[in-house]
Amino acid sequence: MSMRSQVYEWANLAPSGSTSSLRRGTNDIPVYVGANREYDVFIGGIGNNITKPAETTATQFIVIEDIASTPYLGGAVQIRINTTDYFQNPDVTDQAGIPGLASPYPRGSASTVAGTSAGDNLLKSFDLYPDVYVLPGQVFQILFSLRSATDGSATEVVACFCKYTLYDGPDALIANKLLELGVTINPNNVDWYKRTLIEQQTRSRVAAQANGGSA
Amino acid sequence: MSMRSQVYEWTGSRTDGSGTALSATEAGKRVSVFIGGYGNNITKPAETTATQFVVIEDIAVSPSAFNVAHATAAYRGLTTANGVSGPRAYVQVRINTTDYFLDPDNVGNDGIPGSASPYPRSINFQPCFNLYPDVYVLPGQVFDVLVTFFNSAAYAEMKCFTKYTLYDGPDALIANKLLEMGISINPGNVDWYKRTLIQSQSAPAPTA
Repeated sequence: MSMRSQVYEWANLAPSGSTSSLRRGTNDIPVYVGANREYDVFIGGIGNNITKPAETTATQFIVIEDIASTPYLGGAVQIRINTTDYFQNPDVTDQAGIPGLASPYPRGSASTVAGTSAGDNLLKSFDLYPDVYVLPGQVFQILFSLRSATDGSATEVVACFCKYTLYDGPDALIANKLLELGVTINPNNVDWYKRTLIEQQTRSRVAAQANGGSA
Repeated sequence: MSMRSQVYEWTGSRTDGSGTALSATEAGKRVSVFIGGYGNNITKPAETTATQFVVIEDIAVSPSAFNVAHATAAYRGLTTANGVSGPRAYVQVRINTTDYFLDPDNVGNDGIPGSASPYPRSINFQPCFNLYPDVYVLPGQVFDVLVTFFNSAAYAEMKCFTKYTLYDGPDALIANKLLEMGISINPGNVDWYKRTLIQSQSAPAPTA
């Protein structure tokens, strides 16, 4: 399996007495998240984290297809490739990224943390298209931020979501080739490229046989 | 019928069949929806025979909402604990012994969150994940769908849904052929391959 759909979900939930953990647990409680600070959802030290920075190896290619975050408290999500933020203001200055109100997680989430208003179901008004490519050897970060901090007693839960496709091995090489050709990288186009290669080989074999030689 | 759309719905609280009702003690543990011993189960591990090919097209699990830890009342019909309403459930696909969904550090994770792929879907909970590319279960492989929940107060709300297409007999052979050719396996492409075979057989022989 060399093309795989993957997701990563982060929430500010960790076991009592610590701010982060590598595995989700049944006794996780909300952890305080400060205002106007970017938290790396992979290794930021808050909520569920992974063992090392997210990066692609020489034989991997990642296509980020969707990002979403909690809509309340001014939640927003940014993508950073190596040291470059993907979403910028028109004057090329930094910004927080995609607001949770534009790409809410979960879809249908309420716009306030209490969420008591009937019919308060947010829909997405943002689609990550074109997708974001993480080339082999690059480090990437998903940065979550809040405009208003969670309450002092740390009871509010906020979350962030990322959906991506991981191309590995030969499919990562094809993804690189498609990038060179200027073709959008998606599973359909990778399959199309494979078919083209197979057809070329078949044609050259048939031509060689017709000429009396061997393929 | 050699291409058949199939679904499997698992409910943790169902006690018919050989299963017992899911309990809070299973929180944080992976439970197989086929043979895990909880909820409705089947008689043996899910596997494909030498003449079968399975394409898993969708998986979903009970959704959860994130809100406030001190809210103890039910939120959108879901039980709340520690700021999470609902079971905080995840669903993973395992082929033989390999987990399909990984974290970016290449470590197997809990799987797809129910908040991203909810079952059932509703205005309150809509999907932001679709299983594309599909997951292929090749002939002779064993597959499993594993659910994990972390909110032990909401175990009674656990449900899981799997949608797959079963290719059997000649269509499984065609599915293998499509896989070799790098073509997505779906009923449309299997039919296309059959048409191509028929057309090539019925075409007039080339003259010398």
